[in-house]
Amino acid sequence: MTNNQRPDFLDAALKRVAAPREADDAAIARVLGRLRPPLPRQKVAFWRWPAVLLDWQFTPSWSRMAALACSALLGFYIGIAGLDRSLDQLDQTTTVASNADGGFFVFDPEPLSGARP
Amino acid sequence: MDDSNDASDLALMARVAQGDETAFRILSRRHVPAMLGLARRILGNAADAEDVAQEAMLRVWTHAPRWQPLAAFRTWLTRIVVNLCLDRKRRAAWVDLDEVGEIADPAPDAGEAVEQNERDGMVQRAIGQLPARQRTAIVLTYGDGMSNAEVAEVMGTTVSAVETLLVRAKQNLRRVLGDTAEEA
Repeated sequence: MTNNQRPDFLDAALKRVAAPREADDAAIARVLGRLRPPLPRQKVAFWRWPAVLLDWQFTPSWSRMAALACSALLGFYIGIAGLDRSLDQLDQTTTVASNADGGFFVFDPEPLSGARP
Repeated sequence: MDDSNDASDLALMARVAQGDETAFRILSRRHVPAMLGLARRILGNAADAEDVAQEAMLRVWTHAPRWQPLAAFRTWLTRIVVNLCLDRKRRAAWVDLDEVGEIADPAPDAGEAVEQNERDGMVQRAIGQLPARQRTAIVLTYGDGMSNAEVAEVMGTTVSAVETLLVRAKQNLRRVLGDTAEEA
């Protein structure tokens, strides 16, 4: 085989070798047999989620249970922390309210009369 | 509902997206033979090819509701098969294509036919030694007659990358075949 002959030989051989051949009928039957029902659950498109969540069926559904759990968790968080501050700032609020200096201003005597509230 | 085998892939996929198992069966019967052949030519292993064809069709079923007909169904399915084959090749070692057997040749001259079979066997073994992506590009281009643009779409890459893969694949094949020829 010479270098001049090789590219033509290669192209022709690649076409022959890589050409599709008749698939084995038994293999096709085996694959089709494995694709019989029950088939796995289909993945629902994202834009169908609202429809899924608003589908008022009382059968157990992981998607609805997950949505309910997430809503409950979010509600609990907002109830505890409020919308305007995060949970880790909650301790600072309690500290200010129980500070001793705060009590001093409340019980300071009136400058003119000297009366205490 | 129309259960005709003549329905287009697009129409069948619309039904599969609604969970129609009959449409899925028709689609499977139509495409499994070709996908099985493609997987076998890329993987060089019949058992793995069956697994890949089955997995590809199951992915068609599970992802059907999310499928957008941006490309032809056949292109999308070919892409799934190619990706599954490349994933599998990353995990497993190559099985020698000697197991595939002799290649049929319609040439009338027996001596020439034997010689050609021998040469084709050498080429087939050389293809087996190529990296998975180069082998895939060769199979899709020479085997399925796809254009570089189609191969790029199926492999999820650019046309220039496909051209590079083909050039490198041919260089490797020439090198391997040259060594083999010299040894012979």
